[in-house]
Amino acid sequence: MTQTAPSREPTRAPERGVALPEVPGPGETARRAWRWLRRMSTAIWLLFALAAASVVATFVPQEPVIPTTVESWRSGIEGPGTEVSAVFDALGLYDVYGSPWFAAIVVLLFVSLTGCLVPRWRAFLRDARRPPPRGRGLTALRQSTTLRTSLPPEEGLAVVEASLARRRYRRRRLAQEETASGLAQVAAERGRWREGGSLLFHASFYLLLVGIVVAQGFGFVGQVNVAEGQAFTDTRISYDVADPGRFFDLEDHAGFAVRLDAFDLAFFEDGTPERFVSEVTVLEDGEEVRVGEAVAVNERLEHAGMNLYQMRFGMAPRVEVRAGDSDLFADQVMLGQGEGNTWTGVAKVSAADPQIALEILLVPDFARDADGEPISAGPAPGDPRLFANLWVGDLGLERPVPATQFDRDGGQRVDAVELGEGESAALLGGALEVAFPELTMWSGFQVAHQPGRAILLAAGVLVLVGLVPSLYAYRRRIWAEARPVEGGSEVTVAGVALQRVEAFDDAYAELVEELADALDAQHPTSGEPGEEERQG
Amino acid sequence: MAELYDPQFGAASNALFNTALGAYLLAMVGYFFRMAFTKVAEGQTTATRAGRRIGVASTVIASVGVLAHTASIVTRGLAAERVPWANMYEYSSALSLLAVAIGLVVLQRRLGLGHLMGFVLALATTTMAIALMLYTDPGPIVPSLQSYWIRIHVTSAMVASAIFMVAFAATALYLVKDTAERRVAERSGQGFTGSTVGAASVTPGAEVAAGEGAALAEGEAGAAPGAGGDQPDDRLDGDAVEGAGYASPLEQRRVLTAWPFGVVPAAVVGPFTLVVYQAPVAAAVSAFVAAAIGLLSRWSVPHLPDAKTLDTLAYRTIAFGFPIWTFAIIAGAVWAEEAWGRFWGWDPKETGSFFTWVLYAAYLHARSTSGWRGRRAAWIGVVSFAALMVTYYVVNLFVVGLHSYAGV
Repeated sequence: MTQTAPSREPTRAPERGVALPEVPGPGETARRAWRWLRRMSTAIWLLFALAAASVVATFVPQEPVIPTTVESWRSGIEGPGTEVSAVFDALGLYDVYGSPWFAAIVVLLFVSLTGCLVPRWRAFLRDARRPPPRGRGLTALRQSTTLRTSLPPEEGLAVVEASLARRRYRRRRLAQEETASGLAQVAAERGRWREGGSLLFHASFYLLLVGIVVAQGFGFVGQVNVAEGQAFTDTRISYDVADPGRFFDLEDHAGFAVRLDAFDLAFFEDGTPERFVSEVTVLEDGEEVRVGEAVAVNERLEHAGMNLYQMRFGMAPRVEVRAGDSDLFADQVMLGQGEGNTWTGVAKVSAADPQIALEILLVPDFARDADGEPISAGPAPGDPRLFANLWVGDLGLERPVPATQFDRDGGQRVDAVELGEGESAALLGGALEVAFPELTMWSGFQVAHQPGRAILLAAGVLVLVGLVPSLYAYRRRIWAEARPVEGGSEVTVAGVALQRVEAFDDAYAELVEELADALDAQHPTSGEPGEEERQG
Repeated sequence: MAELYDPQFGAASNALFNTALGAYLLAMVGYFFRMAFTKVAEGQTTATRAGRRIGVASTVIASVGVLAHTASIVTRGLAAERVPWANMYEYSSALSLLAVAIGLVVLQRRLGLGHLMGFVLALATTTMAIALMLYTDPGPIVPSLQSYWIRIHVTSAMVASAIFMVAFAATALYLVKDTAERRVAERSGQGFTGSTVGAASVTPGAEVAAGEGAALAEGEAGAAPGAGGDQPDDRLDGDAVEGAGYASPLEQRRVLTAWPFGVVPAAVVGPFTLVVYQAPVAAAVSAFVAAAIGLLSRWSVPHLPDAKTLDTLAYRTIAFGFPIWTFAIIAGAVWAEEAWGRFWGWDPKETGSFFTWVLYAAYLHARSTSGWRGRRAAWIGVVSFAALMVTYYVVNLFVVGLHSYAGV
């Protein structure tokens, strides 16, 4: 028996029969999870997870940010190849911030935050109402000084209190019967904002979350390109790209119109844009309500709760196509940026039968390089030259394809033309006439309704307002007791710092010096513990 | 078309930049020599006469460098007629100026930690050498940068980065010093409890109880567990560890194996440069420089302030930089809202500054959590600085985003 006892001891329950491994019940599991979530360690690991997710999202292209790059990663044109890409897709790495696991990290962080904050807020609010705590055994503290003064105890303490008031300490006077030593005491404290600031800092993340939810849910972001002289209306359908929040309905659009009157563009010598400004007129029900408003980068236009931002711009040559007397096409063709200051695009003449497409290359300032190749002398329009390839056939123009694409296999290139501004030319032996009457510009706007901005700004301000004291407010406590002695009193001052002890040592020395002067004390006796025995 | 920049000011700025770089390099060598001419014994460092002279000379040369550097940045601003930190060359230049200035004023003058200056200068000159690789003429800036927000957002990001740079020197040196102190303590067989020195790892409760518990008891009883707020996270009194590290200062160097100090920095910095700049020569040079700095950090161990001081310094600098970094991000969000119509779009640069922020936040939390403070927290500090460097160099040069125009 005695020999088997040690081996049996760990199982510990011979009377109950077979010992099973302990499986916590659902309640116990929840309690353990809650305890785990409340640990600071867990919060730190969650912060690591958050950081790791953002690292991934920095280096893997994100679909909501640059969908084109994601597409070429998926198709293997760029990036690590299609197999890896499929794994990325399965893990949601192309949309980290929209993925369930990212949401899980954020939710866990907020749960952990709540678990930490609730008891701390409770303690803080309770302590905020409490006066500074009374001190005991002052002479045993590391910083302790006894000053001899001719003032009576009450007046001596009043001097101390005044000095502490100047240093913005919260003070409390204790009568003799309230203290352990039986002496009247001043108890003072400062630096509560360290905890308060920390709590405010952390709590403002809830506000930030609310702001983000409001901005996402009730906001709207749309993008629209419009050529000079043209207008767009604030209706869902007129935006090229629309990203409405869940609660932003079709009726929430104000329905005003914005006309691009002119687009002003200037470049620096090196070809970088110096400024680009859209001059717009806002119309409501066909009436001009705001005329000659400028929209530029860093200079938005606000109207009816919508903000208009200058985003992109480009060249939009007016192109006309005629067959005999019938006008087949007359429009500004919005071109995209090509290589070396050129602009490219397609004019789709779907009214013609068979279908016609003009593949356009625009050179804003025509010149020839050393080899005689056509180039653009600069980015700004000077001597614009329009080159066009004429395609005829079943080009699939009725199908919804991107503006710059058409079905080349269905037709063929039958002619080409080169036009200066204001010129026209006959094609296909005079059957078609193509004209380039003028060069205009197009401007791309981002139109956004952004509710929750005030909430977000408030959250941002509160983050900083809380953060600064949480790092720089230092908790200190100072006590003073006065003992009546022959011809005056002995004032013992003592203090404790919870942070930055050496800075407190300096501040304390300064306080003692000031008190020694004010109390007219001869020799402040220093504060090493044990030294007071000499005075005793 | 507007005149791009004033070439005379541009040339003057470049000459002054080179002067500053030369002065810093000279001063850096001087600071390390000063260390060599300093006797260390029993926790006391005494400079020899030569050491003192070299020290003064280094300080003067570094200060001249700061003046030349300031003039370089001012003339650059005059040349381009705008804020002189609008591209990577200019930003790197101003960043290193700030780091050196903080080093001289705060580390050397206010805290008397002049021995760290060699390392601060090493980081600053490396940043400046990289800046030279990214040099562009002082040109105008694109419309999206033409806003007063550039002064607010970019300047605050830069100030915070410079502070983090100084913090990194302290954090890395803390890890070296702490390792040395631990090993010396272990070898000398002193009752070593694992909470040195490193100091920071001393549990706060125990420390308070030792001296001040009586007076604190009443107020602290109610403090919630896990609340970071009340813990004395940055004290400098050395009572707890007296004597532990100073058995023999030179012993601290001997206990550290030399090769990792050369190999590890080279293995980190070399490939980093190779990937970012695709320049093998630059990669080899930077790996060599990193190895040299690493070996110097081992060599300097006996001269460095004790681990506790370094840890406190690292914490204070990070705690100082963190709110500024936070402000930079918030200001960036406000600017993005003004210019692009959204306050946050997970643009790579935004993401980068965000994970850097999260990591520094983790450091601050770790610093006030038992079981994390000390070496573990310091490693988070090192990783945070690496994240900052990735956000700055890799994201700017590699990843296409809305901030790309600010690139080179």
